[in-house]
Amino acid sequence: MTEPLTSELRKAITGWFIPHRYNIERWAYALQRITGIGVTAYFLAHIAETGNVVGGLSVWNTPSVGFARDIWTATFQFLENPLFDMGLVVIGFMLAYHTINGIRLTLTEFGLLQGKPSRPDFPYEPKSFTKSQRAIFWFSILFATATAIYAMTVFFGV
Amino acid sequence: MRESSKMLLHYVTGLGIVIVGGVHLFTVFLTGPYLQNLAFIGGAYSVIAIYKNVIFAVTLELLLVLVDYHALNGIRVILIEFHQGKTWERGVSWILTITGLLLLIYGTRTILIANAIVI
Repeated sequence: MTEPLTSELRKAITGWFIPHRYNIERWAYALQRITGIGVTAYFLAHIAETGNVVGGLSVWNTPSVGFARDIWTATFQFLENPLFDMGLVVIGFMLAYHTINGIRLTLTEFGLLQGKPSRPDFPYEPKSFTKSQRAIFWFSILFATATAIYAMTVFFGV
Repeated sequence: MRESSKMLLHYVTGLGIVIVGGVHLFTVFLTGPYLQNLAFIGGAYSVIAIYKNVIFAVTLELLLVLVDYHALNGIRVILIEFHQGKTWERGVSWILTITGLLLLIYGTRTILIANAIVI
């Protein structure tokens, strides 16, 4: 509690990226946080990007359709390059993972898929992480990978 | 608002996003060529056609509200897990509330103006 804020924050953040001796539930947690931040960053960018549909921040009246079309087309052409497309593939992976794993978390939040309480025994497998939850976790990884592959076919035509 | 209510709202908005976000992704990716749907005009699902359609415009607004809350509350949860304390938690809440409102205003502005564009 008395630790200075900066060292506390550093420890908290690096903790996610040093997955030493993580069990699978801890991986699911770290991924949920990281993908959440990633999708939030995309959300911010997306609000800014779609603002250009009407001509961006400087436009405060209803623009003519030609003006709006030109601004949007220029924005879209700027964004349509392999770097941003690759970013969208990653965002697709993140969004898909976050969705399915989020459904798992919602189910457990309301008491489903929890299993029975049991004694912790060596090697201390997380008992709370039941088989059905494990299945959903692996499905989320699979679904996210499929989404990323689909995104690649859309953006790169692979 | 109690912490438990905030988290309940987090789960509710999350499930809402699955549905409303699903509609949004569907209109962009599954109703025709992606490049055609992201063209400004032309085709039933082009950018301006979506904004001009009242049902889709309301869907976008709903998605904006849901994602705005869900994303910023998520960031809040992460930040108050990093560090605890009255000042920190209050500061985080205030900054994120203001950020959320600004995003909501800017996003709503886009939807309203785009909806009013005369084709």
